[in-house]
Amino acid sequence: MAELSYRDAVIRGIAQEMRRDKDVVLIGEDIGKAGGVFKATVGLYEEFGPLRVRDTPISEQAILGAAMGAAMTGMKPIAELMFSDFAAVCFDFIANEIPKQRYMTNGQLGCPLVIRTGNGGGVRFGAQHSQSIENWTMMIPGLKVVAPSSPIDIIGLMAAAVRDPDPVIFHEHKALYATKGEVPDGEIVDVLGKAKIVRPGKDCTIVALALMVHRALGAAEILARDHGIDAEVIDVRSLVPLDTHCILGSIVKTGRLFTVEENPRLCGWGAEIVSIAADEVFWDLDGPMVRITTPHIPLPAADNLEDMAIPSVARIVDRVAKVMNGSRA
Amino acid sequence: MTAAVIMPQLGETVAEGKIIAWFKSVGDKVAVGDRLFEVETDKVTVEVEATEAGTLSDIRIGKDVTAKVGTVVAVLDGGAAAAPKPAAVFAPKPAAPTMSAYEEVRTATGSFGKAKAAGDVRVSPLARRLIVQNGLDIVIVAQTALNENVRRIDQREVSRLMQQSKSSALTVLEPAQEARAVALAGGEIVTLNTIRQRTGDRLAENWRTIPHVFQAIEADFTAVEAARADMKARFKAEQGVSLTYLPFIARAVCLALDAFPQVNARLDGKALNLSRDVNLGIAVDLNHNGLVVPVIKNAGDLTTLGLAKAIARMVDKARAGKLGADDLSGGTYSISNNGAFGTLLTAPIINAPQVAILSVDAIRKRATVVETADGDFIAPRLTGIVGQSFDHRAFDGAYSAAFLSNLKSIIETRDWVQELSSGRTS
Amino acid sequence: MQDTIKNGSLANDDIGLETRLELYRLQVEIRDCEKRAYDLFLQNLVKGTSHLSLGQEAIAAGFAAAMGPKDKSFCTYRGHAHTLARGVPMEKVLGELMLRDNGLMRGKGGSMHLTSAEHNVLGSYAIVGAHLCIACGSAWRAQYQGHDDVTVCFFGDGTTNIGAFHEALNFAVIWKLPVVFVCENNLYMEYTPIDDVTAVPHPAADRASAYGLPRILIDGNDADEVMRTARAAYKLAREGGGPSLIECLTYRHSGHSRADPGKYRPPGELEKWLERDPLKTYRARMAEFGISPDAVAAIETESKRKVDEATVNCKAAPPASEHLLTADVYADGGWAWRN
Repeated sequence: MAELSYRDAVIRGIAQEMRRDKDVVLIGEDIGKAGGVFKATVGLYEEFGPLRVRDTPISEQAILGAAMGAAMTGMKPIAELMFSDFAAVCFDFIANEIPKQRYMTNGQLGCPLVIRTGNGGGVRFGAQHSQSIENWTMMIPGLKVVAPSSPIDIIGLMAAAVRDPDPVIFHEHKALYATKGEVPDGEIVDVLGKAKIVRPGKDCTIVALALMVHRALGAAEILARDHGIDAEVIDVRSLVPLDTHCILGSIVKTGRLFTVEENPRLCGWGAEIVSIAADEVFWDLDGPMVRITTPHIPLPAADNLEDMAIPSVARIVDRVAKVMNGSRA
Repeated sequence: MTAAVIMPQLGETVAEGKIIAWFKSVGDKVAVGDRLFEVETDKVTVEVEATEAGTLSDIRIGKDVTAKVGTVVAVLDGGAAAAPKPAAVFAPKPAAPTMSAYEEVRTATGSFGKAKAAGDVRVSPLARRLIVQNGLDIVIVAQTALNENVRRIDQREVSRLMQQSKSSALTVLEPAQEARAVALAGGEIVTLNTIRQRTGDRLAENWRTIPHVFQAIEADFTAVEAARADMKARFKAEQGVSLTYLPFIARAVCLALDAFPQVNARLDGKALNLSRDVNLGIAVDLNHNGLVVPVIKNAGDLTTLGLAKAIARMVDKARAGKLGADDLSGGTYSISNNGAFGTLLTAPIINAPQVAILSVDAIRKRATVVETADGDFIAPRLTGIVGQSFDHRAFDGAYSAAFLSNLKSIIETRDWVQELSSGRTS
Repeated sequence: MQDTIKNGSLANDDIGLETRLELYRLQVEIRDCEKRAYDLFLQNLVKGTSHLSLGQEAIAAGFAAAMGPKDKSFCTYRGHAHTLARGVPMEKVLGELMLRDNGLMRGKGGSMHLTSAEHNVLGSYAIVGAHLCIACGSAWRAQYQGHDDVTVCFFGDGTTNIGAFHEALNFAVIWKLPVVFVCENNLYMEYTPIDDVTAVPHPAADRASAYGLPRILIDGNDADEVMRTARAAYKLAREGGGPSLIECLTYRHSGHSRADPGKYRPPGELEKWLERDPLKTYRARMAEFGISPDAVAAIETESKRKVDEATVNCKAAPPASEHLLTADVYADGGWAWRN
């Protein structure tokens, strides 16, 4: 057992897979000699060399296209998109090419690749470098999408993603890189499609992702202590495949659902979960299902403004407490 | 052999064309590649060449006439046509999803009354379900709430209100009808045997005192049959008896009773005693000489295969006349299996103090409407009518219907193959 | 490498009789199959859209004949020719165009996405430019895993103006990837003359120097010249010499797609190019080398027989299987995004 930072867990997860299989390679901008702009790939170039950890020009389309071509013909590439916002620059590959290859070719070709990307805000980079785009990737048929919240999940889900024969978008959270967590020794391999109940409870279900998991846990403590509300917090971890069993099972137990989402309001990932719950466990709902999200605005650069936008512990506590007590807001 | 010349598709969005010139006349010989006619659309004007050879025998759309794409504009006679090779057969990948790809969700079943029935009081979906399943009347509950100035009813409120108003929950009974005696004129006299006499009295008493309501639902047994077909040879070899539909139905019943505990209860004066265990009575016909209903205790703990074995044992004992008092008592729910003779429906008589009894009739192929993306079709499907007689004092039609709906859903969508493959009996 | 357009020349016989017959066979079969595709579209049996290569057969034939079975090819939505040229049966191609169950992808992909992993036809791509980047990936894999297969990537003149073209060229050069980029310049970007929308007269050849590559511009309607150029480019790639960018001049006999009978072309232009029809050129070439008219006729007869047989089979084939609607979204064969 050891305490490891989230960014060191990224390094360890990638290294674990690259040691296991020589067809696993890493490409991206400044990921090699420089160790990555977030220092999340430090040491990999030294261990695996310039042919397996390869720096690219600023060419997002070429990076993803090359990853796709290599994956189609026998390699297992991990491609980095430095900021998840850049997905918009190479969206053709994320939406049109990679996820549809297997279906259009009637199963002849697949894309066993991983696209890892720095997602999320709270680091004062401004509107075009702070977005949470997990919902953009969730909505495209043929992709798998994960967003780990802790170092141990980073390693386990990286292993699961690399080993998965389908294309996986791996959302790392920029504001979590410095956070630490306990990680056991040895190989860690997790499973895609499984959520985790990180705090059991009986009064309401709070579903969250990545950075929002930490905030939901903070809010749950205060809700229990000051409001007598015992919240069950679920870390979704995997948006596609989605662990509906876990989430719906919890809602049946508590009768109340809240989601905490960093993406902007419209068509956020929580909207899909609320919709599934309304459809499948309608007769177990004891009150309205409420989404707590960043408002539907571009993110500001100013720190005080950004902190108002992204759901905070205080805002989560306030909303849950008020709704549980029957008032609107 | 004749060949049709059709109005060609001249652009992805073009729907019709006007023939502005014919280059051949009726009776002319046509070779492949010859210009036939010129057609004008709202986008282009194109000369159309012949793709088959022959003699132009008929021009159906003449100069300056407009026709829709695909219309036969002329007919060619005398082209040779090769016999088509039979299409290669491609075995489709077996599609066995547990969820429809069009819905991608397992929509909640059940219907628990109208929200508006509660008037000004807001009742959560969970509370509405609990109200119905506990045999409460939502109108009364809402009124009680209003009287106490409570405007929102959630699960906690329902529990509280139930504590307070238990006695007002039950509906008023109709007096039972007197059984009429029917006189026989002439004919043979068949003296009733002892079994029939004893059970006859009890049946009459039950019929007189219990307000029976009968409901039925049609269930599709395709999934059950798939699992059964797979397993039946092995089962017969190992157990010496056939694997019928009954154990599957019994298993589904146990699962459904879990969700609808009031059906698995005994009426005791003014209280409904919900039983934690399912003690399942299986009606056994003694070669047309009477009926007994031996009970399988703790049936809820058994799997389909376990139930199959237990039922087989009970039936053997019954037919050998070896049932003891313990075998015939303690039942909480019964199943009457009548399908052997092809009947459609049976409305059975409830075994008091139980509050309901299931009837299963013939399971066979019936013409069924199947809805697909291409339209509705009639297809043969293996279906059976599953019915329940229930005691209307214990719960209402909505609750019984919800139970039957749940039972149907289990029969149709449970992964029977997986359950059987485990080989476990409990 | 030449940097001027050459007409058919008798300089040497480095091609050989066998290969010449093969080149002719490929061109004839592409021509006949594409014409049949056109007819079937008019009969509403080929559905959706269809982009034909009539007039551009020599490029597909020359590059394909020089490839080995392990070499990988990528092309655009105008890909029937490149698919047929690598040995994919006509029935599978026509079947896919007709969206039947006997099609190359059983109707899942359609005309614009013809793919046969078995023949290393690694796809036809409908979004302009994307596959140039993907081809880089295939070449990267060969380089990384130490294989000597070459990746060949076909695209049109219009592709040279999209971002992905520039990213892919730069990428291939800096990593010295074994990929051959082939620009089929048929003088029109969809409905617009390429001159109107491109900063340089030769959209690919004149940009090669921007990527440090030699300028290669050839007569795309002469299968021999195409083949010689292909062989040289493949050799360079296999020996670790990196990518090539080759511009082939050619002309499209029909419109951009079936929706377009090509009335935007200046009068006389089509007729001028029909004189340089690759099949016409090659028939003359074979005669020069003394190949018997009987051998030539046998190829033409057999081609027509193949096309007719494929047509009959496709017409009799059932439509796409409903079971496939939700199949193969994911590697497990299914579509499930949830449990």
